Amino acid sequence: MEFNVVISGVGGQGILTAEHLLAQTALRKGYKVRAGEIHGLAQRFGSVVAFVRFGETVYGGSVPDGMGDIILGFEPVETMRYINFVKDGGVAVVNTKKIPPVQVSMGLYEYPSWEEIKSWLDERNIKLIGIPAEDLALKAGSALAVNTVMVGAAIKLGLLPFEPEDIKDTIKEIFPAKLHDLNFKAFDLGYKAEPEIV
Amino acid sequence: MARIGTILGEPGERLLLMGNEAIARGVLEADAAVASTYPGTPSSEILMVLSEVAPKVGLYAEYSTNEKVAFEVALAASWNGLRSVVTMKHVGLNVAADSFMSAAYQGTKGGMVVVTADDPSMWSSQNEQDNRMYAMFANVPVLDPMDPQEALEMTKYAFQLSEEVGSLVMLRPTTRVSHTRADVKIGDLPENKKNAVRLWGHFEKNPEKYVVLPARARKMHPKVLERIEKAREILENAPFNWEEGSGEIGIIVSGISYVYLKEAIHKLGIEDRVSILKIGTPFPLPLKKVENFLRKFEGGKVLVIEELEPVVENQVKVLVYDKGINVEIHGKDYIPRIYEMTTRRIIEALEKYLGMKHDVDFAAIDEHFKKVSEKLPPRPPTLCPACPHRNTFYAIKKNAKGKGIYTGDIGCYSLGALKPLETMDTIVAMGASIGLGTGMAHAQKDKRVYAIIGDSTFFHTGLSALANAVYNKAPMTIVVLDNRITAMTGHQPDPSTGLTATMEPTKFLDIAEIAKAMGADYVAVADSYDIPELLKVLEEADKHTVSVVVSRQPCSLLRTRIQRKKGESWPIYQVDPEKCTGCKVCINAHGCPAISFDKEKNVAVIDEVMCWGCSGCAQVCPFDAIYEKLPDGGRKYDVLDEENKRRWQQWNSML
Repeated sequence: MEFNVVISGVGGQGILTAEHLLAQTALRKGYKVRAGEIHGLAQRFGSVVAFVRFGETVYGGSVPDGMGDIILGFEPVETMRYINFVKDGGVAVVNTKKIPPVQVSMGLYEYPSWEEIKSWLDERNIKLIGIPAEDLALKAGSALAVNTVMVGAAIKLGLLPFEPEDIKDTIKEIFPAKLHDLNFKAFDLGYKAEPEIV
Repeated sequence: MARIGTILGEPGERLLLMGNEAIARGVLEADAAVASTYPGTPSSEILMVLSEVAPKVGLYAEYSTNEKVAFEVALAASWNGLRSVVTMKHVGLNVAADSFMSAAYQGTKGGMVVVTADDPSMWSSQNEQDNRMYAMFANVPVLDPMDPQEALEMTKYAFQLSEEVGSLVMLRPTTRVSHTRADVKIGDLPENKKNAVRLWGHFEKNPEKYVVLPARARKMHPKVLERIEKAREILENAPFNWEEGSGEIGIIVSGISYVYLKEAIHKLGIEDRVSILKIGTPFPLPLKKVENFLRKFEGGKVLVIEELEPVVENQVKVLVYDKGINVEIHGKDYIPRIYEMTTRRIIEALEKYLGMKHDVDFAAIDEHFKKVSEKLPPRPPTLCPACPHRNTFYAIKKNAKGKGIYTGDIGCYSLGALKPLETMDTIVAMGASIGLGTGMAHAQKDKRVYAIIGDSTFFHTGLSALANAVYNKAPMTIVVLDNRITAMTGHQPDPSTGLTATMEPTKFLDIAEIAKAMGADYVAVADSYDIPELLKVLEEADKHTVSVVVSRQPCSLLRTRIQRKKGESWPIYQVDPEKCTGCKVCINAHGCPAISFDKEKNVAVIDEVMCWGCSGCAQVCPFDAIYEKLPDGGRKYDVLDEENKRRWQQWNSML
C-alpha cells in the first residue's frame, strides 16, 4: 500500500509545514517516507507544490503524473495548476479563499469561476471538497494556521491511515509549545468543517 | 519554511531529514572541522543546519563572501590536516573554478569534500550545467547520491576517499536529493563532536605542493592522473555501485535516476525481467564492474539512464570500443538530455525501448491539463508585501523617465524584471550588473545606465566591478538594494548584517562607506520606504559619473518574522473606496501582492492579512486614497510623517 499526497498553493501559505506535518506523522507510524519540495525563489508568493509519499516501499520524492490519491489545494487556481499529478477518481480538498495573482489584478487574465473549476475536476472524475480554510484558521487564532485546517479536512476523508490523535502528536513534536493549542483548534475546525463547495 | 529542528539525534535513530540535512549530518559524523559556503539553492540548508549546531559540536562554520573564497577557506583547512567541506550551488563552482582547478593539481591533506548541488530543470538557477562534467574536467572523483540516506553515507565516504587518494572529492546532489525529506538512519558522532572539541590543525610548509609555480604544476599533472586511477581502483569496491536482478533487460543507471527507474519497473510490472547496474560514482567509473555487466549482454543491448549529460553513457561507449565488447549502448536516444528526470520519463522511455504500454494514460492527462492550464492565470514568484525593493524599482523607473538601461543581478530582486516593475534589462551572473553596466556606459550614450545589485551580491563579486567602474570612469548609477541579508536563499547573514554564520556580532560593513573609499563620485543612502527621498537622491546621482545609491531597509519577510516572534504588530493600510478612482497605478506601477482589484466596484482592495505595513502603495497613489488604519479606528493619510519615518529607522536597526 502506498499513499501519494500532493500539496499546492501560494508561497508563504505554509505548504512546507503541512508537508512536514504529514511526513513526520507517517515516519512515526513506521512508514517509509519521501517528501519533496522546491525552495528558493519559487517560494516568494509564487506557485508552490510539495509531495508526501509513504508506504511499505517508497521511491522518489515526486508524485508521478496521474498517481496522486489526493491534492490539498491551498488556493483554487493553484489546485488546478497541479491537477495533472492527481489520479482519475482522486480527491481535491480545496481552500475556497481565492488569491488573485497580480496578473489578474492588472486585467491581463481572468480568474476562473467555480463552475469552470468544477467542470474541469468532473472531467477527470476528481471529487471536490471546498473548505473555507482561511476563515477557519482565523477562527482558530491565526491566518497562518490554514495548513493545519487543511490537514484536518484531509484526515476527515479517511483516505490517509492516520487518526486525529496521530496528527496532534506530531503538532506537539514539531511546533513550539505556544502554538500547540492554536493548531489543535485549527485541526479540529478543519476536521469538522462542512464543505461549502462540492 | 518549516525547520526540522535538529540533526543531532542518537545513533541508529530514524530522522526525517532533507537531503541537505543528511549531508550536514554526514559532515559531523566524519568529524570535519571546517565548513564554509556561499549560499545558493539547492545547497543552502547544509550550512544553515551546520551553522546552527556549530557551537554545540566544535565546528567552525562560515558564510564566505563568495564561492571562491569559501573554497579557499576549506582548502586551507585541508592543508592544515583538518577535514573540511565547502558547499555551493552548481553555478557557484564557476566562481570557485579558478582555485578548484589549481587545487585539483595540488591535492589535499585532510579530507576535503566539495558539495555542489545541481539544479536540473533550473528551479532556482540560470542554467542546468551538469557538474559531473566539472569533476571529469578537473580529474576529481565525484559521488552522485540517489537519496538522502545515500547522501549521508557518501559524505562520510568522500572524506575517507579524499584522504586515501590525496585529492578533492566532489559530492553532487541534485535538487530532488537536496530537497527531498526522507527517513534517514543516522550513525554515531565522533567523541570530538559530542564534546564540542574545536579541532586545530598544523600547517607544514611544502612549497613543492602548495606554491603552484609553472615548473611545479608540470610535475603535478601526471600525479593528478595517477590519483584518478587510484580512485578508480578504490571505487570498484565502493558500496554505491552494485548489480541487482538477473533479467534479460540490461540497464545501467546513475544517481537519483535509480529510484525513478525502480518505480518505473514496478509500475510496468517488469521487476523479473531487468538487470540493473547502479552507479553512484559516475567519475571515475568502476570500469571492471561495468565491463563485467556489459559482457552478460554480448550480442544484445544495454540502456544507460542518467539525468542531464551523457557522462556515464559516453564512458561506457569508450569502454565498449576499447575492450571490443559486442553490445549496443543506448542512452540519450531514449532518455531526455534536458530537465530533471522523473518516473514518468523513464516509464515512457522504457515503453519505447521495450515496446510495451503502461496503464496510466499520460496522453489523456496531458490533453486535459493543457486545456486547463491555458485558462489559468500565471503566478510567477513576486516580491513579498512590503518588500523594500519594490519601492526602489518604482523610484528608479520613475526617475529615469523611460531613458534608463537597467543591468540587473541575482537575488530576490531579479523579480524586478517581471511585470509590473520590469526594471531589469539584463541578468547574467552573480555580480554582473556592474560589469555589464560599465560596458553599457562605454558602448552607448543615449541612456543613463543603472546597475541594480543586492548587498550580498555586492560583496560577492560587485566590489571588484565597482573598482573597475570608478577606475574606468563609467557614467552610471549603481543602486545597491541593501536589505542587510542574503534573503533569497533563506536569510543567511552577510557583511551588511553585522552577524556571523553562528550569529556572533561582527563588523557591519557599510556599503556607502566602501563606495566612498573606492572613489565613487556621489554616494547616498536612502530609506527604501521613503519614495520621495529615493527620487531625490536618484535625481542627484544622475549628475555624477559613478554614483552609488544605497537603498536600505531590512527584508520585510525577515522583519515581520522577527516582529511576530516579539509579539509586535505593524501598521495596516487600506483603500478608501470613496477616493479610489480605479486608476490601478498601485497595481500597474507598484504591484504589491496584497493588492487586488474589485472589478464590480472599480476599486483597489488591500488584503489585511497580506499587508506588511510599508505604505508604498499609499505613497504611489495619485489620489491619496490609501490610508493607515489606526488602532483606534482612525485614518492617517499623511504616511510620510515623522512618526512613520522614525518607525522605518527603527526597523532599519532591527538586525
